[in-house]
Amino acid sequence: MKRREFLKKSALAAGAITVPYILPTGRLFAQSGSQMAEHVVLVLFAGGVRHQESILQRYLAESQDLDIEGNIMYNMLTGDAPELKVVYGTTPAGQQPGIQPISRILQTPLDKQGTLFPEVRFSKAGTGHFVGLSTGVSGHYGVTQGLRQRPINPTIFEYVRRYLNAKATDVWFVGNGIGNSTPLLNHSDHPDFGYRYAANFFAPNVTFGSKGVEFLKGFKVYHPDEELVPIREMQAFLNNSFNLAGKEIPHLYNTDEEKADIKDFIRTTFERLENNQVSFPPVTDNGDLSTIGYTTEILRWFKPKLTVVNMSSVDSCHGSYTSYLKSLHRGDHAVGHLWNYIQTQIPEMKDNTVMMIMPEHGRNYEPNPITDENDWFAFDHDSDANSRRIFTQMVGPNVPANLRVGSELNPVGDAADTVVTIADILGIKQDVLGAGLVDFNAMSLFDRI
Amino acid sequence: MLAFGLLLGLLVGSCKEEQYTYGVEDVLIQPVDLSGKKAKTPEQFLNILYANLYQKAMSANQLVKATDVITSIGDKQVAYETVISKFMNDPNIILPTEESMRNDPEAFVKESYQRFFVRVPTEAEKTWMINFINSHPDVTPEHVYYAFAIANEYYFY
Repeated sequence: MKRREFLKKSALAAGAITVPYILPTGRLFAQSGSQMAEHVVLVLFAGGVRHQESILQRYLAESQDLDIEGNIMYNMLTGDAPELKVVYGTTPAGQQPGIQPISRILQTPLDKQGTLFPEVRFSKAGTGHFVGLSTGVSGHYGVTQGLRQRPINPTIFEYVRRYLNAKATDVWFVGNGIGNSTPLLNHSDHPDFGYRYAANFFAPNVTFGSKGVEFLKGFKVYHPDEELVPIREMQAFLNNSFNLAGKEIPHLYNTDEEKADIKDFIRTTFERLENNQVSFPPVTDNGDLSTIGYTTEILRWFKPKLTVVNMSSVDSCHGSYTSYLKSLHRGDHAVGHLWNYIQTQIPEMKDNTVMMIMPEHGRNYEPNPITDENDWFAFDHDSDANSRRIFTQMVGPNVPANLRVGSELNPVGDAADTVVTIADILGIKQDVLGAGLVDFNAMSLFDRI
Repeated sequence: MLAFGLLLGLLVGSCKEEQYTYGVEDVLIQPVDLSGKKAKTPEQFLNILYANLYQKAMSANQLVKATDVITSIGDKQVAYETVISKFMNDPNIILPTEESMRNDPEAFVKESYQRFFVRVPTEAEKTWMINFINSHPDVTPEHVYYAFAIANEYYFY
């Protein structure tokens, strides 16, 4: 691609005039490549998305033996919506459940605005949620990865903080909840990286939900000079006993200013909730949508270099295909809202952010025996070939528009590519590859075009 | 004759004066040894914190909810400090009066160490804290309790 050649030449030119200096991270040089954008948002469209209802737009045709096709993800994909058996929308009073599709947010679908890799593969390990998410954030298939265990290899958060010398509040992981070990994904246990390079983390549906209201909302704000100064002086004295033993309350190396900023964000978000100012998507009736709403608040406040947010509602497909369709439709609505918000409400990130979207894995081709209220069969994810089919979508500056790369007969891309691709966008690809801790097949998707 | 000899020997021996030499060895004074302590789980931390501040047990339901809130925030220092300051805003917590702290700062300091760290303060710790309280007329028992609750030592047992 000509654009890629231009970018590579630009990087070479920039490298030729770079003056070396020692960074606090111990690196001799600043970032090794040119940046395509200053911000990256990765949406882990997780929970297990079946290829047939997403990329292939087969709706009920390749799942329930009904000849009804159509696209229920029209913010992300180009294609007409189904005309029959519409169950995935909202329910106006007195009408059939789900009959009203949610209005599109983006007039131009993301596949027209950016690049779609429609046939990416989750090529190794079992198709489980945590190993899928762990692969998505670390670029390494943890075939021995267990639940309640942090990723074995460094995450993209750690690479960004270390190689871009980014502060803790520059890097965020937003979880859709605290189950399934999700809070453990903000850093690895790798001895050369780990918590000192971790991402900040919120599971905002908990932090700002009823539990947060009970235990956080209205927390006391001490006067910074008259109260906090003596408190910190006493704390520092009391901590002296512990410094030699090297023990402290776990933290993520946020500076005192960053900690104060996070607390201020928490306080302000409760206020904005009370005043209905949190920018939730137009329809917000499940956990994924509220998670995305809170994510926009984090983006607006911190303007992070890297934000990863995960969703999971489509996993209801284990027991209800109808619920799965609703969640898929809402996941698309969430993504549309997020991109629209970045482009219209955050000037610092507008035209300076690449968004990537990728499910962590797919779902089986064959159904399980469970049927729902429409007598439709449910689907699990047991590592069959279909559950290894995923897609990756990219949009933003320097991402070719209206480009499809790969096909069913010629799959292009791997789940492990995400980390290298983000590193490429942020200009630290060589550092990440040089660390030698991503899957040996992992490549930047830009290099696969 | 033999008995006389033994008696004489005993008397001579018992009268020998022992020589003692006293000296002072150099000793490196370290902070309190906390190396063997373990980190509290969030449940332990919250349970103990609640008991320290409210002087009653936290309900199981509250404990589950509060633990979830801690889990939902990545930086545990931020999480704990925020929850503690929320408790501090609750009129139901039981704090010593300012008058009692000012009237007997030594007792207040000892009680605070015992309550939060479950130990007696060293002389150096006691002296520093008493001097600090006496030299800071605006410091309240709440401030002192907050400092103890957010100190690293409180996180370990």
